[in-house]
Amino acid sequence: MAETPLEGRGERRALAAVLALEVLFFAFCSERFATLANAFEVVRATAELGLVALAMQLVMKSGGIDLSLGALMGLAAVTLGASHAAGAPLALAVPLALAVGALGGALNGALVVAGVPPFLATLAGLALFRGLAEGWTGGYAVYSGFPAGFLALGQDYWFGFLPPQAVLFALVSLAAWLALQRAPFGRRLEALGFAPGAARHAGIGVARLRLGVYVLAGLGAALAGVLYVAHLGQAKADAGSGWELAAITVAVLGGTSLDGGKGRVESTLLALACIGVLQNGLLVTGSPSELATVLLGVLLLFTVAVRRTVLAGGPSATASSALDMRNSQLAVLVAAILVGALVIAASNAWLVRRLTAGGVAASGAAPTAQRIEVALMPKNKSDPYFASCKQGAEEAARELGVQLLWEGPNDTDAARQNEVVEAWITRGVDVIGVSVENAASISTVLRKARAQGIRVLTWDADAEPDARDFFVNQATAEGIGFGLADEAGRVLGGKGAFAIVTATLTAANQNAWIEHIKTRLATKWPGLSIAALRPSDGLRDKALTETKAILRAHPEVKLVMVIAAAAVPGAAEAVKQERSDAKVIGLSVPSLCRSYVHEGIITSILLWNTLDLGYLTVTAAEAVARGRLAAGATTFQAGRLGALAVEGDNVILGVPFRFDASNIDQFEF
Amino acid sequence: MRVRRISREAALALALGLLALVLLARAPGFFAAGNLANLALDNLPLVVAASGMTLVILVGEIDVSIGAQFALAGVLVGLLVKLGLPLWLAAPLVLAAGTLLGALQGLLVARGVPAIVVTLASLAILRGALRWSTGGRWIAELPPGFQWFGLGQARGQLLATALVVLLVGATAAGLRWLRAGRALYAVGCDAEAARLLGIASARVKLAALALMGFFAAAAGMLSAVRYPAIEIEAGTGLELAAIACVVLGGASIHGGRGTLFGTLLGTLLFGALGTALVFLGVDAAYERAIQGAVILAALLPEVVAHLRGARELARG
Repeated sequence: MAETPLEGRGERRALAAVLALEVLFFAFCSERFATLANAFEVVRATAELGLVALAMQLVMKSGGIDLSLGALMGLAAVTLGASHAAGAPLALAVPLALAVGALGGALNGALVVAGVPPFLATLAGLALFRGLAEGWTGGYAVYSGFPAGFLALGQDYWFGFLPPQAVLFALVSLAAWLALQRAPFGRRLEALGFAPGAARHAGIGVARLRLGVYVLAGLGAALAGVLYVAHLGQAKADAGSGWELAAITVAVLGGTSLDGGKGRVESTLLALACIGVLQNGLLVTGSPSELATVLLGVLLLFTVAVRRTVLAGGPSATASSALDMRNSQLAVLVAAILVGALVIAASNAWLVRRLTAGGVAASGAAPTAQRIEVALMPKNKSDPYFASCKQGAEEAARELGVQLLWEGPNDTDAARQNEVVEAWITRGVDVIGVSVENAASISTVLRKARAQGIRVLTWDADAEPDARDFFVNQATAEGIGFGLADEAGRVLGGKGAFAIVTATLTAANQNAWIEHIKTRLATKWPGLSIAALRPSDGLRDKALTETKAILRAHPEVKLVMVIAAAAVPGAAEAVKQERSDAKVIGLSVPSLCRSYVHEGIITSILLWNTLDLGYLTVTAAEAVARGRLAAGATTFQAGRLGALAVEGDNVILGVPFRFDASNIDQFEF
Repeated sequence: MRVRRISREAALALALGLLALVLLARAPGFFAAGNLANLALDNLPLVVAASGMTLVILVGEIDVSIGAQFALAGVLVGLLVKLGLPLWLAAPLVLAAGTLLGALQGLLVARGVPAIVVTLASLAILRGALRWSTGGRWIAELPPGFQWFGLGQARGQLLATALVVLLVGATAAGLRWLRAGRALYAVGCDAEAARLLGIASARVKLAALALMGFFAAAAGMLSAVRYPAIEIEAGTGLELAAIACVVLGGASIHGGRGTLFGTLLGTLLFGALGTALVFLGVDAAYERAIQGAVILAALLPEVVAHLRGARELARG
């Protein structure tokens, strides 16, 4: 049953209907949504994922799967960055990066041709390619300083409105469509996907075709990696982490089957548009991004249900009519869920609108007293550290009558940060405050926000100075690194070995702290040495396993220094289970560590008051918007925090605070 | 077919043996009884999750939502215990909830919705809902009866291990000897043929996914009771790890082939590697590259056999 042009029409209709519904709905909720500029922002935000999704669709259509595409993207990015840094011109570095992608794809393909299941072959590839990128850069090397002409590819607008990557993506999509839907290659691929044995007997060079598919997919991923570098202005080993699953989601939503043979380029593009518009629209209407995740899940079920019912009259002759009926019931059920979710989103957006309107009415005629909208972005929304910052931010927002938006990535993801800021610019918020993951990439969009009259702050981690008005500075990297090193020296008595458990090897903040820790050791604590440096991915479970291994493998280690909030309790639990003679210090939130501090396992944790940090950021944002805080100020009256020093364009929260058994119970966060 | 399966398990054993030799030469401390016990203990949740995944993969389906199910179970049990329910009452409730969730997914899969779609959807929905409802805050200040079932560390660890051995042993025995266990293989090999033989294929698939829900909830709770507080982002990436263990253990991703023993070997290799690299003092930056290389090495005998087979086919 080869695919006819008519087949898959049901799902395309379903997707088109969903897309139309989304656009109508968001246009109704926000007058700023349905503009050409915003449409291009959606394309910009999804172009790289789109390339990976097209590559994934190609492989899935051939009956395989490629889990290594995200990792190949990272390897290609690092290849580009490293060769450019080594002095190669871009005319050489870019082809080199693409060649690495093709080569990685060839390795996958060769393994698959040699009889290894694609899932397993590319899983090995995933580990291998990401590992090569990490090993090559040590995880921390960041390559930037690319020429402006190259960066323009990812950041500029042609004719003032057209993002270059939109053009590139359109061209690649067109080529893919021609190859898959209009050329013999597509027919052969379909045959291979449906029935490899039959394809071989029909005279198709199955092995060569398979190899070619994986090489092309690798090439696509590498191209996405190059675009990603141009978009973010930096190359790092973590580019594309976890994108394989996102790409599979797009392909599957577009009707591509894991069993092979099915999948059309235009369906994948429609699916990409559905997801991109959903995410952008929810941001522009100020709804939480978790809703986007939930709705994406509902969307997946919905389109499948529609496909099965709308198409039921057609080829599903083997299914009994009773089953069809149940399928239609299923569709009704899923549709009901979708409508319910949309109603929730709508009421949310509606409520926000009414509240804003009410605020204006209540505060009387003075137009300057309008309710100010402050949009704050953490580096990672699901990190307990930022969850406690949010508490403080909400407190200040209540006090000042400020409308607070809290949105950001759910893992540290620089590209996602850019996407959120773009949506906030479209929304037209009054102040944007960002805890910056990657200064080089976000500064471009922050400058764009400033150019449109939005006031910009950074907090927790800074962008480039000219991209923001003020930086709410809780403590410098140097202050943290030196403080931790001194604390280690104090606990160990100036002599001995300790281990560091970090977040990921590519985490920018942590790597800066580690640099300063090493500097401090060299100058002040020559008797101390670092026995091991291990990643925890910011997860408690992994921190537990890693710390146990460290304690077993290095009996000389008497102290574990943990520099990721969620990892500290994991390491403490490991010490508790393992050894009574070791201690834990680090950076974390008091509430996560309280019991271990009282048990004497954690000697101390170093941190500023995160509640105050959130509080101060919102207070400063409001002051900037109202003109109470302007360039040249030397002090700032910050509500319950009193007068704080302003040094240049830094609002200083104070020095890091040391929590130990004597004072930790005074802190609720 | 039989020859190939043995060769995968043998290849795994070979890779494990090589790793053991390297460790014996370079870091004999790895084999201290305490370390091995630790290794087993830390991998208990992964063993349980991978066992459940074996059942799902055997019937030719897949479940990529187990990481989210795992986190949900931890949060649920934490909330119930905080409400004042004793753990021995809360745990069965959470297991029931997990099974129900799995059964719901199974229902859709049995109706013919592709498992990848169903489980991707529920992965997104569950993670999103968890993050939304908790705002990223952990469930803390659990009653003292929670950590290690309130038995203290040594006895609690023993109980956890015993529970897992019991669960996995029963599953292995069921797969081998029970009619229902064999039905999983039959459905995985050819669902239509199994149906003609009188096996309710759809129901078997439903059961496999429901069991996966049960196993994921059990794994989530086993992981949660090791701490005095519950992490929201627990189980991130667990789905890929579990699938890797199963497939590395020789199960076919298309169903019908695989054993729990193979899965255990796969889990052993996957779980031991990270700790082994710490003992060998390998720079963490190279860890993933080595992981990839080891998986490739474990696959090598199969590639060689396949190529030799192809050559003979061409000759004959």
